[in-house]
Amino acid sequence: MTELIQTIAFGLLVGGVYALLASGLTLIFGVMNVINIAHGAFLILAAFLTFTLWSALGIDPLAAIVITTPAMLAFGWLVYVLTVRPIRRAPPSSSVLLTFGLALVLEAMMGLIWGNQSHAARPSYFTESFHISGIVLPKGQVYACALAAVVLACLWLFLARSWTGRAIRAAAVNPSGAELVGIDIVRVSALTFAIGVGTVGAGGALVSVLYPFLPGSHYIWIARLLGIIVLGGMGSLRGALIGALLLGLAETFTQTYVSAQWATAVPYAVIFIVLLVRPHGIVGMRLREDVAA
Amino acid sequence: MRLAAAARGAIPAELGELASPQWIGRALLVIGGAIVLTYPLISDDLFYQNLIILSLLFAIGAVGLNVIMGWGGYISLGQSSFIGLGAYTVGILATRLGGSPFVWLPAAGLVAAMFALVLGAVATRLRGHSFVIATIAALFLLQIVATNWRGFTHGTTGITLPIPQWDVAYQNWPFYYSLLGLLVLALLVSWRIRKTKFGTGLVAIREDEDKAATVGIDTPVYKSLGFALSAVFLGMAGGVYGYYLTFLDPNGMFDIVLSVQIVLAVILGGRGTIWGPVLGAFLIEGINELANQQLGGGNSRLLIFGGLLALSILLLPKGIIPSIEDLWKRRRTEGAAALVGARLNGAPAHAGDGGASPAPRTGSPLLEVRGLQKRFGGVHAVDGLSFAVEEGSITALIGPNGSGKTTAFNLIGGTMSADGGEVWLDGRRIDRLPPWRRAYLGLGRTFQITRLFGQMTVLENVVSPLRSFSVAQLNAGAMSGPEANRAEELLEFVGMREFRDQRAAELSFGQQKLVEFAQVLMLDPKLIMLDEPGGGINPTLVARIAEMIRDLNRRGTTFLIVEHNLPLVLTLCDPVLVLASGRCISSGTPGKIQKDPLVLDAYLGEDFKLEEPVGAH
Repeated sequence: MTELIQTIAFGLLVGGVYALLASGLTLIFGVMNVINIAHGAFLILAAFLTFTLWSALGIDPLAAIVITTPAMLAFGWLVYVLTVRPIRRAPPSSSVLLTFGLALVLEAMMGLIWGNQSHAARPSYFTESFHISGIVLPKGQVYACALAAVVLACLWLFLARSWTGRAIRAAAVNPSGAELVGIDIVRVSALTFAIGVGTVGAGGALVSVLYPFLPGSHYIWIARLLGIIVLGGMGSLRGALIGALLLGLAETFTQTYVSAQWATAVPYAVIFIVLLVRPHGIVGMRLREDVAA
Repeated sequence: MRLAAAARGAIPAELGELASPQWIGRALLVIGGAIVLTYPLISDDLFYQNLIILSLLFAIGAVGLNVIMGWGGYISLGQSSFIGLGAYTVGILATRLGGSPFVWLPAAGLVAAMFALVLGAVATRLRGHSFVIATIAALFLLQIVATNWRGFTHGTTGITLPIPQWDVAYQNWPFYYSLLGLLVLALLVSWRIRKTKFGTGLVAIREDEDKAATVGIDTPVYKSLGFALSAVFLGMAGGVYGYYLTFLDPNGMFDIVLSVQIVLAVILGGRGTIWGPVLGAFLIEGINELANQQLGGGNSRLLIFGGLLALSILLLPKGIIPSIEDLWKRRRTEGAAALVGARLNGAPAHAGDGGASPAPRTGSPLLEVRGLQKRFGGVHAVDGLSFAVEEGSITALIGPNGSGKTTAFNLIGGTMSADGGEVWLDGRRIDRLPPWRRAYLGLGRTFQITRLFGQMTVLENVVSPLRSFSVAQLNAGAMSGPEANRAEELLEFVGMREFRDQRAAELSFGQQKLVEFAQVLMLDPKLIMLDEPGGGINPTLVARIAEMIRDLNRRGTTFLIVEHNLPLVLTLCDPVLVLASGRCISSGTPGKIQKDPLVLDAYLGEDFKLEEPVGAH
């Protein structure tokens, strides 16, 4: 029984962090109809940045999000302007290939800068845990989940309350309609892409503490994040939250009750099963392309 | 230098269609082909043999991928799954059961094709993005299975395969020539596909999948088959590749970078061309060797291929061969008047037996719609719609904007599925059938905004519909033979024959309407549904279309027409059905409809008076 509760609690903590990581991916897809395959690579880049801040300057890796988030936000904006904007009128599949190319370039750059061996930021509290009536919750995991919740809440408030946030949501629902009421789609897209990459700026700081990483780790991360947004419904923020918690649970359950090596297969299996059984995910609308004219 | 020669070997025969550079392309092809064919015999340089062997592997992958990606429009980033599946199949069978690895190649092809069919079946419901995701997921899933299923694959330890037994003097000839043979096979299949109705069907799916379904193209079968064909030769090549490396491990075999290189070869050389993928493959392998030898491989190789992928999407999305073709075409047609703007001839060239009386009206309903329902969120677009179309009639469907006319068309044609109600065609219930099955039963339709396959020529557009599904139909020649002749006759009928080789996207709206009309006629439909045949075109053309409708009707075709041009409707059609709020509120002869107070209130307006019939003489 303790093991079950332990597994659930841990799964939810993991899922909370996943939710932050997937939020940017789903936001970008929702507004721009672009699947940013480079999302995992941006995440690992932020993790490396955090690692350097921690090892070179002694900044606490979780506190580093106040630096990594704006840094990645700016980087995301730059990448959008240089690469994604020029192909915004090309068929949607072009953006998949383009961002895949970007992911490989980022992977290579990280390998050249930091090397291809495994890294991890290990602050002093890394080995400590909270003990609540027999259930063990690692401090790092709890702090990371709490931080993820705070960042997500800020994102949520921004989208729901601010004018810019409303413009982003309007663009997601109906781009041409949004354009008609005076929303500059290109600027909104640039902003969305920047915010999306900014969220993994924060996420990368968390990941650097929780998981060892190397440049090639971006594949497993993008697979996980795609699994989450496919499961939740592509383009839906609420769906990403639900999908992230479910995937976190599915992984920890596989880890506890099956084996650790098969846990890595869970995201791919989830992608298949969801695409087969319910292609539009849990709360998502059917993909725009599926609608007959 | 020899590298460059090998790469040049893949220069296009496609250029051959353009009179002057034809010989250049063919000559380069012959030279390149001769070099690749004889290279191991004239030189024992293993470095270049290795280079060509790997180029051949990429070329087989790229030629295959071109079938589903270049023509079908579906990108797969999981092609190295088939290399890995083929390599493991041959490796495991040959080491456990014995025999030459080459004997087991068909098994490798079979396993790869089966996996592609399964993945294709999963992916039949997917469009664009989801398909790419599914192929990437498949690749990584296979990698994990190969890693974890130790009893079968020895996991990350890998399987070491025996060194080949033949005389050292033969070097790598068996690998070299078996891959060359596979490439020739793949090219022959690819060339054949492009010439058949299967090929035009795939291109139709790329251009507009929903529309393709309405002209009888069984899209899931086409996609799965195309995907399986993209896998089969690559699977066999993977078997050869494994033995060539003499070592199989999950990371080396199910390698995403291999997939990227294959995709890159297709994009760089030119999607949708026969020789582009081959050219791209030789280029990619050349760059690959360069990166490995000069730059130490690893990160630099990754940087080069990632950068190349991003840059080719940004700067050269069409690829080398189509770009050269375009450049050449532009130079050649400079100053020449475009046919597109030309005026159409007056009357239809083939007016048929004009004096014949209207088709016998049997009085029995050809199409029956009962209680049809369709909601979009809270909007009842079609709300209990019932009507019948009598065989041999020209029935009109009119009603204000938003009354559900086009939705009704979509539901009857199968482009959308109804929430409730029944549709019967010629005594068969069709509302659960997919669009292509409805087309086989004799239902054809056009769209309000024409939906031709833009990048296909006019003739290809008209030849693409399928009247039934069979393997023979798939293999039927598209651009010559009876199908093409029939398509030309229909183009003659609508007066568009001289435009047969124009790309459909270059035509004016009115011309597109005529071509779409001919396309529907190719289905030999019993019932043709026209969505605003007179919308957005000039009165002369309206009159001409009306004449064609009458002509076809006299020969027995039934019509259901949505139209806002009231004078046209009232002179051409009988009976007239009036829709409002998703329901049929009135029906009858044009005379009766004009006087119906309900209709006047909902649609025509109090002061409606038919003054002079326009567009019908």
